[in-house]
Amino acid sequence: MAMRDLVTGAANCDPSASSNPFGALANALVGSSSKTQERLKEIPTTTPAAGSQFFAQPEDRLRAIPGSESDHSLLPANAQGSEFLRRFHAAEHGGFADAWDEIQQASVPSVPHDLRVGMNPQIQPTLDGPPQRVLSGVLHSFVDSSRGGLPFRPAQLPLLGLSEGDKQCIRDRSTIMARHFFADKSEDFVNEQVNALLHSLDIDSDVRGKGPLPGRFRELEDYWNESQGMMKPGPHVGDAWAVEFNPHRGEHSGPDAWVNSFEQQHGANGWASEFEQQYSQLATVDQMGGVNVPNLAAMEQTRMLAHTLAQNEDPKFQNSKFLQFVSKMSRGELIIDDNQVKPAPGDWASEFQQQYTAGPSWADEYLHRRPDQWANEFAAERETNGALDDQWVNEFSKLHVNDWADEFGQQVAEGSLGDNTADDWANAYNEFWNEQKQQSDGSRGVYVFSDMNPYVGHPNPLKEGLDLFRKGLLSEAILALEAEVLKNPDNAEGWRLLGIAHAENDDDQQAIAAMMRAQEADPTNLEVLLSLGVSHTNELEQAAALRYLHGWLRHHPKYGTLASPDMPESLYQADVARLFTDAAQMSPEDADVHIVLGVLYNLSREYDRAIASFQTALKLKPNDYSLWNKLGATQANSVQSADAILAYQKALDLKPNYVRAWANMGISYANQGMYEDSIRYYVRALSMNPKADNAWQYLRISLSSASRHDMLNACDSRNLDILQKEFPL
Amino acid sequence: MPIFKTPFNGYSVKFSPFYEDRLAVATAQNFGILGNGRLHVLSLPPSPAAPISEIASFDTADGVYDLAWSESHDSLLVAAVADGSVKLYDTALPAAGNPLRSLREHTREVQSVDYNPTRRDSFLSAAWDDTVKLWTVDRPASVRTFKEHAYCVYSAAWNPRHADVFASASGDCTVRVWDVREPGSTMIIPAHEFEILSLDWNKYDDCVVIATGSVDKSIRIWDVRNYRVPVAVLNGHGYAVRKVRFSPHRGSLMASCSYDMTVCLWDYMVEDSLVGRYDHHTEFAVGVDMSVLVEGLVASTGWDELVYVWQHGTDPRAP
Repeated sequence: MAMRDLVTGAANCDPSASSNPFGALANALVGSSSKTQERLKEIPTTTPAAGSQFFAQPEDRLRAIPGSESDHSLLPANAQGSEFLRRFHAAEHGGFADAWDEIQQASVPSVPHDLRVGMNPQIQPTLDGPPQRVLSGVLHSFVDSSRGGLPFRPAQLPLLGLSEGDKQCIRDRSTIMARHFFADKSEDFVNEQVNALLHSLDIDSDVRGKGPLPGRFRELEDYWNESQGMMKPGPHVGDAWAVEFNPHRGEHSGPDAWVNSFEQQHGANGWASEFEQQYSQLATVDQMGGVNVPNLAAMEQTRMLAHTLAQNEDPKFQNSKFLQFVSKMSRGELIIDDNQVKPAPGDWASEFQQQYTAGPSWADEYLHRRPDQWANEFAAERETNGALDDQWVNEFSKLHVNDWADEFGQQVAEGSLGDNTADDWANAYNEFWNEQKQQSDGSRGVYVFSDMNPYVGHPNPLKEGLDLFRKGLLSEAILALEAEVLKNPDNAEGWRLLGIAHAENDDDQQAIAAMMRAQEADPTNLEVLLSLGVSHTNELEQAAALRYLHGWLRHHPKYGTLASPDMPESLYQADVARLFTDAAQMSPEDADVHIVLGVLYNLSREYDRAIASFQTALKLKPNDYSLWNKLGATQANSVQSADAILAYQKALDLKPNYVRAWANMGISYANQGMYEDSIRYYVRALSMNPKADNAWQYLRISLSSASRHDMLNACDSRNLDILQKEFPL
Repeated sequence: MPIFKTPFNGYSVKFSPFYEDRLAVATAQNFGILGNGRLHVLSLPPSPAAPISEIASFDTADGVYDLAWSESHDSLLVAAVADGSVKLYDTALPAAGNPLRSLREHTREVQSVDYNPTRRDSFLSAAWDDTVKLWTVDRPASVRTFKEHAYCVYSAAWNPRHADVFASASGDCTVRVWDVREPGSTMIIPAHEFEILSLDWNKYDDCVVIATGSVDKSIRIWDVRNYRVPVAVLNGHGYAVRKVRFSPHRGSLMASCSYDMTVCLWDYMVEDSLVGRYDHHTEFAVGVDMSVLVEGLVASTGWDELVYVWQHGTDPRAP
């Protein structure tokens, strides 16, 4: 003890300083080694007894600091609150301590808790843990890339796996900071900006923890002003305080007097609690309102806003790395994946979620997917598929199936089957169908006709179908066109239009089936070949897609010479793409070539090139809505969901009843985590085409993700009335 | 004058009240949005031509948003950390021995800390959990929590003269003045229409004047004896004002920094109040301080990862 006193110069020995005086001595002499000791002690303890030891250490250190400027001796450390305060009272600022004492007593229950919190072993997270290092590297390379003009590729990020805490940090901090940057804009505007930014980061909806971030409220100010007004009649609190604050403050207006007058005016808890109550009500409102997600207009505003800052006339702003960072985030160019089950990365090029339990191609697809996601999706689909298949078969049994009737007729009986009645062989067919299904992708290429077609018997169903198609009434158009091909099964144009109608109605199975019939009728029809190429790309059937796209080139009057006359055994994407690049050089003004190139690059997942190709094509065909849709889908695939939504919107402006674009829009919102919005778009798409099975599945996933389990029944029973009512667009 | 490059984005800079050549800088990775933080203790060279040297640096697992030098111990620092902790550092000890303490009570990011200049064993922390907490160096838990603000508290500052009085600035658009002997705030100033990011007390004339910096780009000067209207409104920043600091040497002089990337000096008493504008930073300027020991010495830091120290009236970038 004496030695320690000598070393530290303390007037009296603090009994709680250390259990080992030599440890304290060592501590005072060589700080570093004893620090290790302290840290070890620090870790396991939550008991108050150990606490006193902990507190003694720093104090020792402070006393030992050479040249310490301490002009009043530090109070001896003691974990006992009362002991501390007793000593504290002896110190100069009596009033200060008294007040604290009171407060401490008043809040006794919370003290042990606080103490424990304070005593918690210090958490030392890994400073260079892989996630942070990767994120940091990506963020900085991304920021740097904006200077060199190199395209930023956020490829590494999906592997990142940010923790919930990280996501919350990004969410909360960018929210609060954005409010500071975008103060010029209205509150709504800022909120929309923030929402868009966060959704594009894929963060918001799955991060839960501290509840909604309190916002700034106009209403709050009203409440505030009201409260202020209520206070005005009496002597204002602040005035009283100001008087007291006067340097000549006398003893007579001590704190007690002030407290009394305060309580007289406001009651014990006074204004603060009133304020808090009102505030919490507001917060509740906000929580409910916060579910509202920005609409399309907001997305556009977001982009404009991000540009507003970048377009500040000050060149410094244009070079600001941070502003580039923010604006890139808001454009969705920075994506953080959260390993959540989501709809496929959106879009016509990846709508691989087939209804049927697929055969060999399944394995190929699997390789392209991130396994975990796929597995989850697959599991989810399996559940629904079982039911769907049954349903489908039942439905099928009621249908009037021309070609099947022909085929089936050879197997079962002859002549006895009428053109339009299939009831009597339905059961037998069921068995056959099930066998087929087990063998492989049985439904492939089989066109399924609608029941109860009012256009059968129409004098000119082709013209009627075309008119309906142009009006955007796709489901009606499909019926009319079915009537046409029932009437003239060899009409390639009828089948082709039917295929296009199905493709736009978001039904690639039917589209392919119709297009195959069209190709049968007219094997060299270029539009048919192109459509088949696109539809097979959608279904991720690369070999088939390449075959048709190559066929397109081979049969093209202009580019036919580029392709070898014989169909090669196996086609490679790169070879085909090269042929089309040559074709594009031959006639750069041919939008179709650029479209095919865009499709091909989608097959090879070179989305930047695909986007460029489609954009070139759009310059030539700015009013091709399906082209806008392709562009949007490609952008969605390359994780530019915000841009994709703009492209889809363009398509929908051109063709409001474009079911596929509605559904794609939903997928893009879902990919940004805006599940509520995605639901609205799916429902809209389904209200136009209730048979779009993919969209039903996406809807189900979005409902689950949005925790709208109450609506799952409506989804499973395909009750559009309920869904439309619940999710109006 | 010398420049120091920090690996992370600068958040705050403060001169030591004990040594005229010493200052500390709080930094955060990735603009403070996600990542680590680092606290630098720097030593100014005897001649301006020599580089700034680093005396010590301390790593944290989250960004450091602010720091305050102890008024009682020359080597003691308090840091406001984004993970909600308030950490005490002894810069005389090696990194392995630090932090002395990690005080974990705030549930959200701590945005500012301020050391009591008159009662020199206590300090304040202001945090995004809407609270201000009062601490003393020898206690494991906060002495008191002040919870009245309805939104993030971005700044809390002790009155330089009255040991029990401090003010807090919040995103709820109010400044509150508190007396720690009282149960609640003693004054509420609806100082701006927008969030208030910073405030400071004038060190002269009984210390009754407060400056506030807001997202509305303005700085307002308030006299707590008559706070219905501001004494002065200083316009000139193009974006949110991030920090305001009164000069320790001249009663009406103050410095500010802003998201418009500039550091400005003002004399709020005169009509043309803008005294100087420095646009040496190339990203948001978020930290500024004026030395107590060397009159006219200004330091600033920003998200361009640079710390500048210069004499007012000279070019911060001059070699």
